[in-house]
Amino acid sequence: MHNVWLIARREYIERIRTRGFLISTIMIPLVMGGLIYGSAFLGSRTGPGTHIAVVSSDTQLVMDLQAALQQPSTHRSQPRSARQPPIAVDAMDVAPQNAQATREILNQELDSGDLDGYLWITPAAASPANVQPARPTFTFTPRSNNQDALRNTLAAALGSVLMREHIEHRGIVASEADTMLQPVTILATRPPHREDSRSAEVSVGILFFLMYFVIVLYGMNVARSIIEEKTSRIFEVMLATIRPQEMMAGKILGVGSVGLTQVGIWLAAALLVSRSSMALVPGGQSLHLDLTAAQIVYFFLYFILGYAFYSSIAAALGAMTNSEQELQQLNMFLFLPLIVCFATLMSILPSPDSSLARALALFPPFTPLLMYLRVCLGHPSVWEIALSIALTSASIYAVVLIASRIYRIGVLMYGKRPNLREILRWLKYS
Amino acid sequence: MPIVQLNHIRKVYDTKVAVADLSFTIELGTMFGLLGPNGSGKTSSIRMMIGITVPDSGSVSLFDRPFTRKVLARVGYLPEERGLYKKMNVLDQLVFLGQLHGLSASVATARARRWCERLHIAEAIPKKTEDLSKGMQQKIQFIATLLHEPDLILMDEPFSGLDPVNAVLLMDTLAELRREGKAILFSTHRMDQVEKLCDNIALLHRGQLILSGSMREIKSSYSRNRVLIHFEGDDSFLRHPSIESHKLYNGNVEIKLRASATLAEDAQSLLAQAIRHARITRFEVMEPTLEEIFIEKVQETLPIKNGRELSMAMLDQPNGGALDA
Repeated sequence: MHNVWLIARREYIERIRTRGFLISTIMIPLVMGGLIYGSAFLGSRTGPGTHIAVVSSDTQLVMDLQAALQQPSTHRSQPRSARQPPIAVDAMDVAPQNAQATREILNQELDSGDLDGYLWITPAAASPANVQPARPTFTFTPRSNNQDALRNTLAAALGSVLMREHIEHRGIVASEADTMLQPVTILATRPPHREDSRSAEVSVGILFFLMYFVIVLYGMNVARSIIEEKTSRIFEVMLATIRPQEMMAGKILGVGSVGLTQVGIWLAAALLVSRSSMALVPGGQSLHLDLTAAQIVYFFLYFILGYAFYSSIAAALGAMTNSEQELQQLNMFLFLPLIVCFATLMSILPSPDSSLARALALFPPFTPLLMYLRVCLGHPSVWEIALSIALTSASIYAVVLIASRIYRIGVLMYGKRPNLREILRWLKYS
Repeated sequence: MPIVQLNHIRKVYDTKVAVADLSFTIELGTMFGLLGPNGSGKTSSIRMMIGITVPDSGSVSLFDRPFTRKVLARVGYLPEERGLYKKMNVLDQLVFLGQLHGLSASVATARARRWCERLHIAEAIPKKTEDLSKGMQQKIQFIATLLHEPDLILMDEPFSGLDPVNAVLLMDTLAELRREGKAILFSTHRMDQVEKLCDNIALLHRGQLILSGSMREIKSSYSRNRVLIHFEGDDSFLRHPSIESHKLYNGNVEIKLRASATLAEDAQSLLAQAIRHARITRFEVMEPTLEEIFIEKVQETLPIKNGRELSMAMLDQPNGGALDA
């Protein structure tokens, strides 16, 4: 055990000290956070200083629209997340005979970038006063194709403007019309025994991805570290005093502790940030990391199990190969179960307590990710949790045993990569 | 008490017989040379001695007991394929390897510093291993093997790749360790190194033991039929009837005399003739070198063609003069 500890400690210290660790610890959350923050930011707005032109002979309509678009937050029944900066609207009147010329001018402005789009309002044909007036036709010409957000905003604004016009037309006072058009707000309260489920789902989802990501990353690190040992040829010095099993166990523990340290730092930072106001995305939606203590404990438990399982497979792969290029050809053995696990998510997420979910979560390669999901979102019974831990531990033991045999013989044979038959024969050697 | 005792060990990889029926013992306070060309089974034998691989048949005893992993704390092994953690700093590396051999961190640190000074590489202590020259790395590796003061030291090709000065430094160190009573085994394909250092030798060829025993006895069992002459001038004395074969180099010649009961007289008559024609600066009568004995032995057991290939391969070693410095 002492040797395992020594190897693990060396691996841990040497890895923690590298610049790569520091950079990835800082950069990965920054990049991920940046992506979430950035996409929320971009998705929530039509862009700064949106500028459109409205062509219509109905000045009242244009003025109302202008008002609606320029003070959007007080006026519209949009959720907070979709709040947008005001849109500048140029009103243009046009005589029908000049239509063609006007269009050309507007198109030129679109091309030069002065305008983001223009709305052409064609009045409806005149109808008898009694009959409900037909709506005019609205044609929106955007500068680029991906202006759906702007078009939706326009449609919503036009809708409420027309509705107000209609109501006022029926002789209702403007202030009363305002009250009628006030958006309804439903105040959300938490369900009695559960955390805010949406936020919890997001948090669990983040942890799920984190687990997947770190298991893959550090599993590969174990394989790489073993290949490094082979290329530097130090293993032969080591094998003169220690057993291959000890060496492998030490490596897995050492590299794994680095992973745990990194995840720990990330989680601590995420919890800190989410307690402060910095977690507010510009759209207004908060990215709350909503986790109970039990969820965090289970996260580390299943993370450790998953990591141990996949990193011992990675160690065996590392022992079979002599270079990273060769390792990459065998990578699928590592990724495939994880990808399959991901694929089953779609059917498991909506019903985490279905019999399919229960069965899959007990299959050791899937246990870490799926059982964790069930613990957080479903209601697995205690015996299921215990059984999943027992099964996974047993299979980890088996995989480590096989991997260390492959390792012991694999490291001493250099040259070509062994084929399956040879590997099977290696397993028979004492 | 024999420190190492190999009893008819045998190892086969697939169809290749790496070691066939090898037996020898190594005593305390002696230096043992395991000799043979590349691929003759030296490394395989050493690996079986310390349990990296297990013999297919036969048995290994270390320190007079059947092999167990416990005794490895008393063994220092320098593999032929050198390896160190490249990114690690030298002291950390030595301390780590020392700890793996059961030393405490403080003892390992103190010894590592002492050894680095002894081998004149104290300035390397704070450096990263990858920043050192290859020779320095080799010394670090050498120190790592000895840090836990093993009673049995196994070195696979310890001098390969070293410059003459460092090779002699390491050789002197090994000789000192032997005086302290350690048992040392080293393998080499360079026979000239062994002649000076070893008490006992084992000659391997293709996994077979073809010669073993005490260096002195082996040498003295061969008659002194080799003559070395350094000369200036006419080389017509080389037609002397007692010469069986010779190799003429620039100004010196290695002569093998025909087997006869009067070798000593033959040599004198050869010298007399040489003096008549040339100016002699050196004349020496000696036993065959280990290398010659080895080639002879191989030729006895195998078709001549193989023996000749072998001799070519062995004479063709680079930096052959490393030990004569």
